[in-house]
Amino acid sequence: MTRLAVSTHEVWLELLMAGFMASGKSKQILFDFSDIVFRHFTWMEQYLIDEGIEYDYNRQSIPIKVDKLSVILADIAFRLRQIDLQLIVCGDQALCERITSDIGYITFVLNNIEDETVSAFDLSRKFGDCDLTQEATDALTLFLFEESYKEYELIMIYNYLKAHTQDHYLIRVFQILIDESFFHLKSFGQMMADMGILGVPRVIYKELYKITDVTQFLKDGINEEILAKEECKKLSEAVGNESVELSRFFDCINMQEDYHIELMKRALEHYESINNDK
Amino acid sequence: MNFDSVLLEHMMEPKNYGELESHNSEGIGKNPENGEKVIVFLDVKGSDPTIEDISFQAIGCMTTVTAGSIITSEAKGLTFSRAQDLIAATLGILDDVPPEEAACSEMVVLALKAAMDTYMERRKDFEFPVISYKIENSCYPQNNTPVGDLKDD
Repeated sequence: MTRLAVSTHEVWLELLMAGFMASGKSKQILFDFSDIVFRHFTWMEQYLIDEGIEYDYNRQSIPIKVDKLSVILADIAFRLRQIDLQLIVCGDQALCERITSDIGYITFVLNNIEDETVSAFDLSRKFGDCDLTQEATDALTLFLFEESYKEYELIMIYNYLKAHTQDHYLIRVFQILIDESFFHLKSFGQMMADMGILGVPRVIYKELYKITDVTQFLKDGINEEILAKEECKKLSEAVGNESVELSRFFDCINMQEDYHIELMKRALEHYESINNDK
Repeated sequence: MNFDSVLLEHMMEPKNYGELESHNSEGIGKNPENGEKVIVFLDVKGSDPTIEDISFQAIGCMTTVTAGSIITSEAKGLTFSRAQDLIAATLGILDDVPPEEAACSEMVVLALKAAMDTYMERRKDFEFPVISYKIENSCYPQNNTPVGDLKDD
């Protein structure tokens, strides 16, 4: 069952990456499928927890560099069929039936998605019609690599914390932060694809999500959000002369971090209060 | 960072990233300033110890991951003697680089050295613990202090 969860984790990311590569209607379809497979992953995770089975978020690296969208879609369909075959090890009948049904539909749709040429790996480092300076382009490049990984890391950490707490308030806060990080990851990933530098976020180090000191994690997280705000501010200023759109985007992300900080402060206060009561 | 196509490829798809399934040694390079670290896994074979396979994982920035990708690619297939040359040459180059830029690569090189030293110790004592080395370069530009609290080491 742990192997099944790992395979599902990999297909979730591959579908997300395919979404960045696609255009038009296909893009939204692939993002929606990616969201569905992420939910499969979380349900499998819950099964593992309920059964007391040890698991982690390790996975293999996922090769995504293709010239044609059809190539990655064929690989995704192949992996989904492998998952379907592995479902035999899952003891939750309702979950198996749900995933099998989804896989049947997803692979059917994938087979009918119109092929297109992929430019997400052409290293152009051009962002739309913006004529960014070399310095701004370099700053944006580094930011996107750092932050796309960071958002993936946050999704996985909050997901792990959420899966291992029974506290409704904390579950709500972690879910908000997961949703917010999904928006950021999708935004940054799309920008990377548009600039021809798309890459899958690297595997997360176990000790980052298998957290033993939640208080310290939340404190560190607040400080990291403050640093992220600074990065967004710097980037907004660096691209401000060349692109109002990009500058406004980074200002928006910067302001969103304020709410994350507030949520994490409240989560910290709540966590400390419930632990003091024990 | 000078973003040529080779560097971008390493950033998009870091080579040798993740825990090596079959390894007989590992080592850690760490930055005591901020809790960042690199762990290198080795699969060593032969009487003249040779790095048959290598991988790394990092808690660190993109520069560290890129350095890890490049250095582990260089080290794969080398005998320990040649790998020591690689370590010495890399540390030599880093001497001429500003400390805040050198810190990430130094962490990777020290993790490789730690993994090789761990292997040599384990030839004598199978249960020898994983060796860990601390970097000397500072990740923060001089006259600049880090923002926020530091993570525990």
